[in-house]
Amino acid sequence: MLRSSEDFARPLVLNKRAFKANIAVCDGNLQPGSSLDDDILALREEYLGREFDEITFAIDGGRFSEYARACGEQDPRFTDAAHPDFQAPPTYVSTLIGGRSRPDGFPQLSGVGMDAGKGVQWMAPIRDGATLTGKSHLHDIYVKTGRSGRMIFLVARMELYDEHGTHVANADTRTVIRERPSE
Amino acid sequence: MSDLVKTIADVEFGAELPAFQPDTGLDNVKRFGKHVGWDSPRFTDHEAARKEGFPAALVPGVMSQGYLGAMIHRWAPAAEIVEIDTVFRAPVLVDQPHSVVGVVTDVDEDTGTAEIDITITNAAQETRVFGTAKVRLPTG
Repeated sequence: MLRSSEDFARPLVLNKRAFKANIAVCDGNLQPGSSLDDDILALREEYLGREFDEITFAIDGGRFSEYARACGEQDPRFTDAAHPDFQAPPTYVSTLIGGRSRPDGFPQLSGVGMDAGKGVQWMAPIRDGATLTGKSHLHDIYVKTGRSGRMIFLVARMELYDEHGTHVANADTRTVIRERPSE
Repeated sequence: MSDLVKTIADVEFGAELPAFQPDTGLDNVKRFGKHVGWDSPRFTDHEAARKEGFPAALVPGVMSQGYLGAMIHRWAPAAEIVEIDTVFRAPVLVDQPHSVVGVVTDVDEDTGTAEIDITITNAAQETRVFGTAKVRLPTG
């Protein structure tokens, strides 16, 4: 069953009431413990939702079946090219990397950056031999503040479309930048 | 509930998915790196990882996320994972035993969907990766 891409196309909303309460809002979901300092608010206003990268991927069943086996998948629909429903595991799209990770002009944030997580929204099977187009934008920017200072979270979303224009998946990469204490 | 889930009617709120011990061995991680692309020395060489300040080589985050998906498909082969969100809280170390566990936190029989909290823990029961998944199963 296909999911509508509109399910994931809701606009980012900056809820002013939540802003006053130091809570970031993205796609209607609260980010607990996060805040919107003025600099972060400015980054959101300038960069969220702006497409900054487009890249094509030739989907190789050999590669995604190796991925599946290494991860412990046993279902032949993910591991056996002869299976009638042969397809990539949904999480496979996390391995597809765009050409760039930030928009033009995005400021260099000073601090230690780390991969904080991955998210996938799956809408349709991805088959061997497909050509996907990945279009990336910054989907969310928020801050969490702890005893050691601020941690800035950047969520880059790659929307993936097949050769027919069907929106097949979203792949989110969450990067956290821990600001240096002196800043 | 039987171990193998076939339809949404087989899913019980609060049920624990069968734990899965993923292959974190160096050979498997090297094979992943060769075929999928994560072949930096920090993933494939313990000594190189230590020189970067890590206690040992690391399992790539994208591979850890794949373990979580595999656990769900082992529990319910017909499941479609429609959403999965994972947080990399701490490194999953190569050649160290880990366990992937899950618990059902919501069931909607009308839509055939269930939500699952998912976690990877090490031998000391420390959480390394956690997240949530939404799966869709046949309704009949």
